[in-house]
Amino acid sequence: MTAIAWQRRRAAARATWREFASQRGGLVGLIGLAVITVLAVLAPLVTDASGLDVTRVTARPWEPPSASHWLGTDHNGRSVLLLTWWGTRISLVVGLAATVLSVLIGTVVGIAAAHFGGWVSAVLMRFTDFFLVLPSLVLAIALSTVLPRGLGTIVLAIGVTSWPATARLVRAQTLAVEARPFIERARALGGGHGHVIGRHVLPAVLPLVFVNTTLTVASAIVAESTLSFLGLGDPTRVSWGSLLHAANMHGAVSQRAWWFLVPPGLGVVCVVLAFTLCGRALETVLNPRLKGER
Amino acid sequence: MSSLLELRDLSVHYRTARGEVTAVRSVSLGLAAGQTLGLAGESGCGKSTVAMSVLRLLPRTARVEGQVLLDGEDVRGMSWGRLRAVRWAAASVVFQGAMHALNPVHRVGEQIAEPMRLHGVTGSVSALLDQVELPARAARAYPHELSGGQKQRVMIAMALACEPRLVVADEPTTALDVVVQAQVLDVLKRLVSERGIGLVMISHDLSVLASTCDRLAVMRHGQVVEEGPAREVITSPTHPHTQALAAAFPTVGDPASRQVTPSEGAGGPVLLRASDLHVSFGATKAVAGVDLEVRAGEIVALVGQSGSGKTTLARTLLGLRKPTSGRVLFEGRELPRSASGLRAYRRQVQLVLQDPTSALNPRHSVYEAVAEGLRIHRVDGDESARVAEALSQAELRPPELFFPSLPHELSGGQRQRVVIAGALALGPRLLVADEPVASLDASVRGEILALLLRLRRELGLAALVITHDLGLAWTIADRVAVMYRGELVEQGTVEQVLLSPRHDYTRTLLAAVPHAQRSTRPNWTSSP
Repeated sequence: MTAIAWQRRRAAARATWREFASQRGGLVGLIGLAVITVLAVLAPLVTDASGLDVTRVTARPWEPPSASHWLGTDHNGRSVLLLTWWGTRISLVVGLAATVLSVLIGTVVGIAAAHFGGWVSAVLMRFTDFFLVLPSLVLAIALSTVLPRGLGTIVLAIGVTSWPATARLVRAQTLAVEARPFIERARALGGGHGHVIGRHVLPAVLPLVFVNTTLTVASAIVAESTLSFLGLGDPTRVSWGSLLHAANMHGAVSQRAWWFLVPPGLGVVCVVLAFTLCGRALETVLNPRLKGER
Repeated sequence: MSSLLELRDLSVHYRTARGEVTAVRSVSLGLAAGQTLGLAGESGCGKSTVAMSVLRLLPRTARVEGQVLLDGEDVRGMSWGRLRAVRWAAASVVFQGAMHALNPVHRVGEQIAEPMRLHGVTGSVSALLDQVELPARAARAYPHELSGGQKQRVMIAMALACEPRLVVADEPTTALDVVVQAQVLDVLKRLVSERGIGLVMISHDLSVLASTCDRLAVMRHGQVVEEGPAREVITSPTHPHTQALAAAFPTVGDPASRQVTPSEGAGGPVLLRASDLHVSFGATKAVAGVDLEVRAGEIVALVGQSGSGKTTLARTLLGLRKPTSGRVLFEGRELPRSASGLRAYRRQVQLVLQDPTSALNPRHSVYEAVAEGLRIHRVDGDESARVAEALSQAELRPPELFFPSLPHELSGGQRQRVVIAGALALGPRLLVADEPVASLDASVRGEILALLLRLRRELGLAALVITHDLGLAWTIADRVAVMYRGELVEQGTVEQVLLSPRHDYTRTLLAAVPHAQRSTRPNWTSSP
């Protein structure tokens, strides 16, 4: 009889998609994301990774855009187009991984705090407040200085510092859902914590978590760029933040090498904008209260 | 007799995504000053739409045809400025749900004065409060500091602020319990007779209208199906819909509306027993020393005003809340405290909640809702067969047709049946029903009550029905327990308690029930 449930879920997914597709902003964001993701995945197949190796460059440093190097070259003579293209991969991976980590912590803490109440809630919420009041960038900088440098550290630093807002949001939504009488009915039927959370609370909270995820990705990508720009990223990998860091370090401004500064910056803007557009559209679809205001 | 309000051939259509829906279909009604007109009907019959059209308060999607004459002037033809002048000064509204119609951040005095200020009328807030029997200092209170009945009276004072000649009261007592309802109705009646205003009163409860109105119009599907003097409409209804509505609110003491014979459901072994049960929330005692028994196959009604602790008592009996002291025994054994022990207990005792709309998860289909209990208890066997059986026991037939439906696709009565089916699927011995029909339409109430009775007859299912409605207790219960401030002040058979009450509080409750003075009303006040 799960066939009924699946049929209904498919129908619900179709309806959600139709509503999403009716919003031009969300659609533009989604198409943008799809293009960027495909480019990032295809980078090793379409381009030659040896172009990233400083010892193998042939072009001169600080070359302005030309037919052979569309976006010019950096201080080592590497193609900025190639660097930016490869930078997409790291930015997306870090952004998504950090978001998954942050949303996971936030959801678990939020649901647990609201569901169990009492001292569990008090402890968890004070813990959340502690992270909420710490300046997250400073905390992330501190973490990535202490821990060994690498991709994992950046993900951890961003993930561990950006979850409190999600936790608060999820807690509020869980409290609202748990006040509904069908939760009491489930308890009266004999359902335990696992049943109430798994069958009733989680499905009701997930849409919100989903929206929150897409919006968190955007800020995680910005955070990654910030940390890398400050020189705290993985030095062996190219990311947009580390490109900007390199440009700053080697005097791209004094060289008037705008072609080195603008592409990674625009990359960040495009991805963040695309995620935000998607998130807002999704929010409108899943949160009926916002619909009237359009 | 010049008529204050006259509706001539009024029709209202709403533009919706599915095309135009007609809410009101050529309704013609008249009301003279000093008169009260009752508008009865079930939810969705168009009675509120009629009321709102009087002041042109309908949403933009509404299209109105016909005439609404207020003192001979058509409201539809009025200019915006004229309409503003007429609103509140000539006709005002007591909105449904006083809880939400007052602004929580302003003192009620300011809110009563607001229409006076807007219309440049002079008047005194304390005089208005006096009219609705509230002390003048209530003006300084915020809405949350007042009780439901007091808020409703503030709404009435607000409606009277500009001395209108017509007041439209939309379900003015729906959220109130019997004693408070009687007080509010008395205020309205007195105002009509003293000040000669015209009152249009809307309600789904015929007995409320019967006790206040001169004339009564019964609406169904946007049309007036019966209209006439209130007494006549109630005592000898001609239209079947009116008969159904009248039957849904039985008179206590009327043998015709009693649906149990005294021999039924008596003498079974004691199923559930509470002894000296106390439940406190901090300093407040919600349940203070209750002894109650429910026997196998017996229907017990637990009656009381809101705030009397009856819901807390029910939760405690179900093991959803721990008692502060005292014991709950099921078949002579104390309620288990462990999670697994309580889970086993839940197969025996099930809960039916007041509002089926919120008691069902809107994302779960009927099948999932009914199968939920089976899955929790890992009941072996053919799940879909059990679900089908429970649904047909709850009279949803054929059950397979309802499997994929979502709650919002069902009517209120069908939803309550799904909740009951979900409880029945576990094969319980006792149902605890918390106001099982309070949120249902009149014609559906009877069906759900009949279902409870049939389940008792066929499955031997005992029930503890919690209600504020004495008529309901009279219809289906074997025994009644009256709860007041956390204590059971009186219990016994229905006939004993409701026909010759011993405790003052029971008498107060009975006196507050609005009645139509139908036929065989026993004179219980003269009994000792």
